[in-house]
Amino acid sequence: MVLNIQPYSLHDGPGIRTTVFLKGCTLRCKWCCNPESIHPGQELAYNAARCIGIRECGACIAACPESAVFTIGARERVRVNWDLCTDCGNCVEACPSRALTLFGKPMTVDEVLEEVEKDGAFYGGSGGGISLSGGECLMQPDFSAALLAEARRRGINTSIETAANVPWSAVLKVLPHVDTVLHDIKLMDPLRHRKWVGVDNEVILKNLLKAYEAFPDKRFVARSPIIPGVNDTEEHVEAVLSFVKPYRNVVAFELLPYHRLGEGKYGYLGKVYALKDFTPPDPERLRKLRDLVAEAFKNREP
Amino acid sequence: MKRIGVTVGGRYVAGLQSVFTGVVRAADEAGWRVAAIRDGFDGLLFEDRYPDRSGVVDLTPRNIEALSGFSEGILGTARQTDPFRVRTVVADRRIEEQDRSDELLERLRAGGMDAVISIAGPDELALSWKLARKGLVTVCVPVAVENDVAATHLSFGFNSALTYVIDTLRRARKAARSLGRIAVVEVPGAHAGWLALQAGIAVSADAILIPEIPYDPGKIAVRLSGKESSGWPVSLVVASEGARPVDAGLEQAHAGAHVIDRAGLTAKTVTLELQRLTGHEAFPIVPGALIRGGTPTAVDCQLGTGFGAAAVRALKTGEQGVMVAFQPPDLKYVPLAEAVNRVRTVPEDSEFIQVARTMGISLGD
Repeated sequence: MVLNIQPYSLHDGPGIRTTVFLKGCTLRCKWCCNPESIHPGQELAYNAARCIGIRECGACIAACPESAVFTIGARERVRVNWDLCTDCGNCVEACPSRALTLFGKPMTVDEVLEEVEKDGAFYGGSGGGISLSGGECLMQPDFSAALLAEARRRGINTSIETAANVPWSAVLKVLPHVDTVLHDIKLMDPLRHRKWVGVDNEVILKNLLKAYEAFPDKRFVARSPIIPGVNDTEEHVEAVLSFVKPYRNVVAFELLPYHRLGEGKYGYLGKVYALKDFTPPDPERLRKLRDLVAEAFKNREP
Repeated sequence: MKRIGVTVGGRYVAGLQSVFTGVVRAADEAGWRVAAIRDGFDGLLFEDRYPDRSGVVDLTPRNIEALSGFSEGILGTARQTDPFRVRTVVADRRIEEQDRSDELLERLRAGGMDAVISIAGPDELALSWKLARKGLVTVCVPVAVENDVAATHLSFGFNSALTYVIDTLRRARKAARSLGRIAVVEVPGAHAGWLALQAGIAVSADAILIPEIPYDPGKIAVRLSGKESSGWPVSLVVASEGARPVDAGLEQAHAGAHVIDRAGLTAKTVTLELQRLTGHEAFPIVPGALIRGGTPTAVDCQLGTGFGAAAVRALKTGEQGVMVAFQPPDLKYVPLAEAVNRVRTVPEDSEFIQVARTMGISLGD
């Protein structure tokens, strides 16, 4: 189940890359900026601003088998009762203005690579290639492994972005086909991890240590989204550094400033965004934390 | 002997005790037992969370009297979990949402509960409807401080909220008069303006803005200025949280509608507009969640007990998948399908609107 294929990504591995977002995630981070990637199946999204109203249309109301599309009084735009909606997609086919859409599309390896290879010209020169992201791309280990293996066979450099909260068997299946592994470490403290992410980090940290040891030739890049009030502290950065430092194959630790670009998407899905009052980190603070990392990685090969 | 479950699904309103009392007394009279499920259906789905694994509390005419004022605290005042999408940590610490509705129905059967009376707000009615379609024998009691549940003239909790809002408006007006400013009070009502309209009329506010009538800030300003120049001190504007300006065109997808707390947005918008257009200082007041607590009024006590007792009577007469509705002068049972997805809005020709216009209250149009 593919969510989106995004060409010209500069942030998901070396060079210019095409990022393939897979659907489904095993975590529930409160700051999630891709809420449409969480649910593993297809999922309805509704952008009310595009609805042309029941006076001219109303096709979705007739199309819905669950009575989940409705209107209030004489008002013109439809609403979705998210408690009743089963994501069947009938309304999407009926909607002429694309106000109702589905997130997620089942695709084959060949279909994905056909899209990816449209930008093949850029990869060679920039050191780029294909990136798998999500969601959690290791939630679909068979598909991910097949896709990356075929990409490699066609000479495309491969990388993945993962949070590593998956069975070890999934990691083992996919990693042999990957050149660069970008992996999150959101919080080192298990209790705070549970509070903000939904579960503790035991499986994640175990998987990472095993992966560092089992794949000494891979490039690993640790990453933390830096969120004020959650993990924008020296303690967090230092804890991650001491976790990754013994492993020479961890080539970098990137700090990604929290942003609020995903906020609007919650509305399309009828979900509530919990972090309304959170702000991106102060640039000065971010610089200080990045200095810490730079200092620690000073003598390491990039 | 029959055993019925009671669960609280809607958001918190004052005096839920009276609904329990109605249910328990009527059930006892019929020779049935009553089991209250704690925190929506969590008492059955997450027994481990409760002391002695007792997610279900037996209610009797005796202990309901002893619990007076405490029962809400013990039973919980809102649903916590949607049984169709229960967030669960599965193997390898993975999180997923599971449909546990079949398990819920099974646990109800295992607990010997033949039917469930659900105290439900608009969202929970949809949930009960889904469960009813899966075979659950259920009767709903409508609760909503906004009084926006369709098919019933009155929802439980509205009258207590209305009374509190009226008191707030009186206080706001005192403050505004003494400061020589205009108070803009925002009250609940995202889709329906009953609270603003009825409370506004009761204290004869200067302007009432409701979602059903898009407002033109210019027209409100003209009316307010007209009143003032005739020597009438202008001081109080009531706005439903869902009131919107005419120039919003087709109903706007509210910027920020998806964030948890957008309380106060409407009050701020109206305050700034009026300040700019009238040259008077204005200030916003947002009672927000405060209106949900407190002491229930006599009307709600009677209505709650009546709704509770009527829900048991419905089960006795073999009704299921229905909601108890007050359609004056009767309590009736309406199919859940008639209440789900409908919102009881203020009709254009409502008596209340005509009264407001007759009193010279500006409705912003």
